[in-house]
Amino acid sequence: MAEDQFMRFLAAWALVHETADEGWKAAVVRGAEQETGSMEAGPEAFVDGLSAMIAEEKERLKAALASGEVEAPGSKADVGSQLDDLLFEVRELRGRLESMQTTLDAVLAEDEDHGVK
Amino acid sequence: MSRRTRVITRTFALHWARALPRARFGFAPRATRRAAFARATRLALEDLGPAFIKLGQVASVRPDLVPPEYVFEFEQLQDRVPPLPAERIAAVIRHELGRPLFELFDDFETEPIAAASIAQVHRARLAREVRPVIGDVMPAGTPVAIKVVRPGAAQVIAADLAEARRLLSRLDRFGLSRRIDAPALLEEFAASLASELDLRNEGRVSDRFAHDFRDDRCVMTPRIAWSHTSRSVLTMEYVEGWRLTEIDDAARAGVDAFHLALHGATVFMKQVLVLGRYHADLHPANLFVTPDSRICYLDFGIVGTTEREERINIAQVLAATVYGDADRALCYSAKLGLEVPEDKQAQVRRRVGELMGRTLNVPGKAADVKGFATGFLSVMADARVPIPAGYGLLVKALVTVEGVARAIYPDIDITRAAKPFATRLIAQQMMRPDRIADRLPAALRAALRELVS
Repeated sequence: MAEDQFMRFLAAWALVHETADEGWKAAVVRGAEQETGSMEAGPEAFVDGLSAMIAEEKERLKAALASGEVEAPGSKADVGSQLDDLLFEVRELRGRLESMQTTLDAVLAEDEDHGVK
Repeated sequence: MSRRTRVITRTFALHWARALPRARFGFAPRATRRAAFARATRLALEDLGPAFIKLGQVASVRPDLVPPEYVFEFEQLQDRVPPLPAERIAAVIRHELGRPLFELFDDFETEPIAAASIAQVHRARLAREVRPVIGDVMPAGTPVAIKVVRPGAAQVIAADLAEARRLLSRLDRFGLSRRIDAPALLEEFAASLASELDLRNEGRVSDRFAHDFRDDRCVMTPRIAWSHTSRSVLTMEYVEGWRLTEIDDAARAGVDAFHLALHGATVFMKQVLVLGRYHADLHPANLFVTPDSRICYLDFGIVGTTEREERINIAQVLAATVYGDADRALCYSAKLGLEVPEDKQAQVRRRVGELMGRTLNVPGKAADVKGFATGFLSVMADARVPIPAGYGLLVKALVTVEGVARAIYPDIDITRAAKPFATRLIAQQMMRPDRIADRLPAALRAALRELVS
C-alpha cells in the first residue's frame, strides 16, 4: 500500500514535470513570436518574453559547452580574468610611476635652472 | 559691496528682469515660470565667467539640490573662453614636464582645438615612442591631444567662488535660496574643482574605463601617455571622428547610428549596474563616433559610483520603471533612500503611475525618459520628499544617456536596451548562491506546506 502511494507520488511528480515542460515550451514559442516591446503587455506576455530570452541563453550555453568555452571557477579562463585584472593594476602603477618620474625630473630641472645644488 | 559683487548682482538682476515677460510676471503656469527663470540664470552664469559656469555645471548634476528645470537648463552651459596664447601654454608644459616642447612633441599646433575655463587643448605628435597602460604602444609620430590647465585658473575661480559664497549667504538671509542648499553646493563645487584641476585623475578613470570595456569592440577611450602627463598636463591619443552634432556625416560614411545609440545606452547600464562606476558627466561634447563605428568616451571629470547592494535595487527600480510598475519602483526606491512619508504614499504612487503611463508607456511612441525624470522629480518636490544625492545623480545620468542616444539616432527608445538588460540582471541576482541559500528554507517550508495540505 505504502509502495502504491509512493509510486503515485512519483507519477504525480512526473505529470507535474511533463505539464510544466509543455507549458514552458509553449511559453518559449509564444515569446519568440513576440514583437519588440510586447513584453510589457501584461504578466503573461512578460513571462513568455522572459522564457524566450532564457531559451536563447540556454542555446548559447549549450553551444559554449559543446565548444568547451565554459569552465569552472578556478579554471584557466577564471585565472586568465584574474591575471588580466592584476596586469592592469601593475600597468596602472607603472603609469603613475612614469608620471611621478616626469614631475620629479621637472622639479630637478627647475632647481638646476635656478642654480640650486 | 565690492565691484565684483555689484557686477554679479547686476548681471543676475538684468537677466531675471528679462525673464519676467516670458514668465508672464509670475502668472504663467509654474513649469513655464520656472523654465523662464532657469534660462535667465543660465545666461547670467555664462556672462559671469568660468567660476559661475563651473558652479552651474556642478549644479546640473545635482537634481537632489536643484529644481529639475534648472538641472536640465544648466546642462546647456557653454564653457568657452578666448584661448590663451600658445607660448603661455608651452611654458606650462615646459614647467610641468621639465623639458622643452620640441624634445617631447613634434608639430605642436599653436591654434588650440578647445579652450575652456579650466583647460586648453592643443594637438601635436609624440616625439618618441610611449607605452600606455592599455592598448598598443604609441610609436613616435602618433597624434596626441595635450590638455593643459590654464595658468592661474584655480586662483581666479577661488576668488570668484569667495564672492559667490558671500553673495549667497546674503540671499540665504532673505530666504531667496531656500530651494537650493547653497553651502552644500559650494562645498561640492570646491571638491569637484580640486579633482578637475588634477588632470591625472581624469587619466586614471579613463584607463579604468578602457580596462572595464576591453572586450567591447564598440567602445574606446584615448590611450594616455603617462610619461608626458603631470598634475596640469594630460597627454592622450588624438582620436579622429565625428562629434555627435556631425552624426549625419558619420551615417553617410557607413556608421550604423541605430546600433551605436542602443549600444551606448547598454554601456551606461553596464557601468551603473554591473561595474559600479559610471561616467556622470556625459554630454555630446564628451563623445565621438569613430570611422570604425566605435563610441569614443572623453573627459571623465565627474564619476559616480554604486555599491553592490545599491546596484541590485537600482536594477529593480529600472526594471519596474520601464515596465510601468509604480508600486515596485517606489518600493525599491525606498531601499535607495527615497523615503516617501506614509501619509503621502498613495498620492505619490498614483501620480508616478500616471506619469509612467503618460511618458514611458504610450502605445506607438518612444519612451520619454527625460519627461518622466522631470515629472518624477517634481512629484517628489511637491511631496517634499528629499532626493538622496546618488539617486539624483543617477536619474540625471539616465536622462543624459537618452539625450546622447537621441543625438546619435533621434528615434531611439532607450528602454528597448533597458528592458532586457535589467531583466537579465535581476534573473542573475535571483540565481546568486547566497540569495538562494537565504531564501531556500522559506521556499522549502512553503513547498512542504503545499504538499501537506
